[in-house]
Amino acid sequence: MNALSMILKKEFIHIIRDTITLSLVLAMPIALVLLFGFTISTDIRNAKISVLDQSKDTQSKYLIDRLSASGYFQVISYPNNEMEIDYDFKNKDIKLALIIPPNFEGSLSKEHSATLQVINDVSDLNVASILNNYVRAVVQRFTSDYNDEIKQGDGNFDITVKMLYNPESNSVYMFVPGIITLIMVLVTALLSSITLAREKETGTMRMLLITPVKKLYIIIGKVIPYMIISFISTIAILVISVTVFKMPINGSLLMLLFLCIIFMLTAASFGMLISSISRTQVDAMMITMMGLFLPTVLLSGFLFPLNSMPMVFQVLANIFPAKWFILAIKDVMIKGSGFFDIWFYLLILFIMAVVFIIFSISRLDKRN
Amino acid sequence: MYSIEANQLTKQFGTFTAVDHICFEVREGEIFGFLGANGAGKTTAIKMMSGLLLPTSGTATIAGYDILTQSKLIKRNIGYMSQKFSLYGDLTVFENMQLFGTIYKIPRKELKERIMNSLRELEMDAQANTLVDSIPLGWKQKLAFATAILHRPKIVFLDEPTSGVDPIVRREFWKLIYQAASKGVTILVTTHYMDEAEYCNRISIMSEGQIKLIGTPEELKKQMGVDSINDVFVKFVKR
Amino acid sequence: MSAINIRGVNKTYDGKVVALKDIHLEVEEGEVFGLVGPDGAGKSTLFNILTTLLLPDAGDIRIFQMDVIQDYKAVRQIIGYLPGTFSLYPDLSVQENLDFFAVMYKSSIEENMNIIEPIWKQISPFKDRKAGKLSGGMKQKLALCCALIHRPRILFLDEPTTGVDPVSRKEFWDILKSIRQHGITVVVSTPYMDEATRCDRIALIQNGEIIGVNPPQTIIQNFKGHLYTFKSDDIFSLLQVMEQCPLRCNYYPYGEHCHVAFYEDMETAMPQFERFLEEHQQPHSKITAIQPSVEDCFIEIVKEPINN
Repeated sequence: MNALSMILKKEFIHIIRDTITLSLVLAMPIALVLLFGFTISTDIRNAKISVLDQSKDTQSKYLIDRLSASGYFQVISYPNNEMEIDYDFKNKDIKLALIIPPNFEGSLSKEHSATLQVINDVSDLNVASILNNYVRAVVQRFTSDYNDEIKQGDGNFDITVKMLYNPESNSVYMFVPGIITLIMVLVTALLSSITLAREKETGTMRMLLITPVKKLYIIIGKVIPYMIISFISTIAILVISVTVFKMPINGSLLMLLFLCIIFMLTAASFGMLISSISRTQVDAMMITMMGLFLPTVLLSGFLFPLNSMPMVFQVLANIFPAKWFILAIKDVMIKGSGFFDIWFYLLILFIMAVVFIIFSISRLDKRN
Repeated sequence: MYSIEANQLTKQFGTFTAVDHICFEVREGEIFGFLGANGAGKTTAIKMMSGLLLPTSGTATIAGYDILTQSKLIKRNIGYMSQKFSLYGDLTVFENMQLFGTIYKIPRKELKERIMNSLRELEMDAQANTLVDSIPLGWKQKLAFATAILHRPKIVFLDEPTSGVDPIVRREFWKLIYQAASKGVTILVTTHYMDEAEYCNRISIMSEGQIKLIGTPEELKKQMGVDSINDVFVKFVKR
Repeated sequence: MSAINIRGVNKTYDGKVVALKDIHLEVEEGEVFGLVGPDGAGKSTLFNILTTLLLPDAGDIRIFQMDVIQDYKAVRQIIGYLPGTFSLYPDLSVQENLDFFAVMYKSSIEENMNIIEPIWKQISPFKDRKAGKLSGGMKQKLALCCALIHRPRILFLDEPTTGVDPVSRKEFWDILKSIRQHGITVVVSTPYMDEATRCDRIALIQNGEIIGVNPPQTIIQNFKGHLYTFKSDDIFSLLQVMEQCPLRCNYYPYGEHCHVAFYEDMETAMPQFERFLEEHQQPHSKITAIQPSVEDCFIEIVKEPINN
């Protein structure tokens, strides 16, 4: 048996014999997804909205009536321009504004299409996502009714109504990529850094170091097992998200999994980096929590939109792998992007992994 | 008056009998050497006697209190020190003693006085505000002992207190033990240094959970027909 | 050929704590060399440097002519190391631990069975037991097997007998003797002075300095004082009385005896001493001259006599 497979075998024995940690690691992601999933789908009623009606014709009136009648919305103001929308957001506590373009009715009848614009209050992304969904539902019913009417009349063509969203809230399912990120960071980075630190603490690392085994093998031997565990968790999250929460995966599933594998590699390498600068398991845990987990939650754009943050944080966010992963996974899951759209993110993640691993190896056998 | 009276004290872990019906007494003010091979059951026995572990059967009275029903009173009346854990390295000498003294509810003023007295006896007054981590091991052990008797316990359990300590400090440590014993404190001590066994008033040798030999060092040497406790130990275990 | 050659090694931690001061040492191939001194004397630091795990601040170290600092990879191939604390995987079985280290050293158990056999025989009945569940002595033996699995030329043992009972300690030294018969150089540290006599040569170490290197017999021959022993019924009160002794001497309890090392002309000093004990009403057994032990020698080197 060669040294690397022996190290891997040993790591798997550690993992399998530590049943408590193992079951926690496998059960936690599922619990988290269910928790987030059910909290997020809370119903919202009578949300205050503003409508900037630039056409003021029959169809636009009709659309506004349908919004009010849905019970989800309460139209509290009709601003005259975008400046006033801004004012409404700041002073009237509206959650959403809808802009109906000029000549709405004309566009529908002549061009069979029109473009509505939705502006969200991004301070609460979950609420924004839900409201967007409601708007979409109302508009869809409006469109299909309109089409039915036309079909009864003189022809059979469909109209489409496009909706523009502000970029931060373009996903209803924001939380799934976020959770995948958190799980991968937790499982791969935290666990791998703790297990390496444990070997330092118990002295087994010294025994390993004085053998002629390659240091790369020691690191890889820690990285791979936790990538596999984390991969299993990721699959579980995706299955639940798709089956229970009907989350669409617009891009290719293979692309998504490939992306996840690359990110797991980066996260595990980050774990190695952390354990290479910590002496004990407690150190490793604290540094992972403070140095990786918190930035992942706060600076990845998962909970708090990045471009509403001070410049310092926006720049700082770039050094954490999670930001790049979130950008990529959103593109794949929501926009349906392929490899050529996200290769840059993948490259960044991969380079980070290589740098982290090289640094950890150099720190592992420091001798002073 | 006996300080320690163990009566058929037994502890089983599953099918394994760690301590097997041990009976012995220790007089007040006596220095009792509790010897035995690694894994003979010494630590388990000490844990039961200090009220940390309930016996499977049998009982013991420690300073007159029953280990089955009065473990709280026992804890208040004993001191404990081991080689593995003794003091907090990131607290100063004074802070450590203050911490343990406060745990035993020594009144504030009285506590400060006692700490200063015991530091003076150790000739360590100058180090009162030094971090424990930065003083040498031997001094640390002496300090740990002084801390363990700060609340004037009736009995002190010492679990390998001198392991790895240099020969000179080891002797100074035993001087402290003698001093405490002369004030009436009962000492139960384990050690792997057989010369230290000779300093005890009486010793017992444990093996496989049982006390196989008990007596004064003199008696045991005579009984086994050898010159030193080391030989007693070797001859006994070989048998 | 010298197995280890150490010249002028210094090590300071955090720029403050001096762990080793100008160490010079030479260990011959095939000998059992003892590093004897209390905890905190610098033994472990020296071991960490010799086993390539730590860099010295200054100095030159060769192990079989190889530079420990530059050629550490080559050095690692020929050394075996038994650290002071149990450093194997507690959740792996005895067999799994041994297999693991065999592969790490690109070695095989069969190949080197003749070296480890006497030890392996004792632990093989437990080969499916997890290493963490073994008794202290068994753990030690397993660790020794793992350290020998690649047939090292030098074996380093950091306090293998600390906290171990006298019988197991004796057993362990017998094992070391058998290892040496395979031509393996053994460097072992211990805080037990009585174990020093089991070594070919010893270095006494205290506060990061080597205070003497010699065969144990030579160290004993170099004892400067006149050592006497006697018994007393109450050693503690005797020691208090001894504080007033007018002679230049060192006194300390030694088992059931009191040892006194005099640095005087004994013809006049002995009657003076007997008179002193009598005056202070200290009944005692016959005062006899004895050969010092290594422990007596250590105390002599480290401790100033009174009235010096």
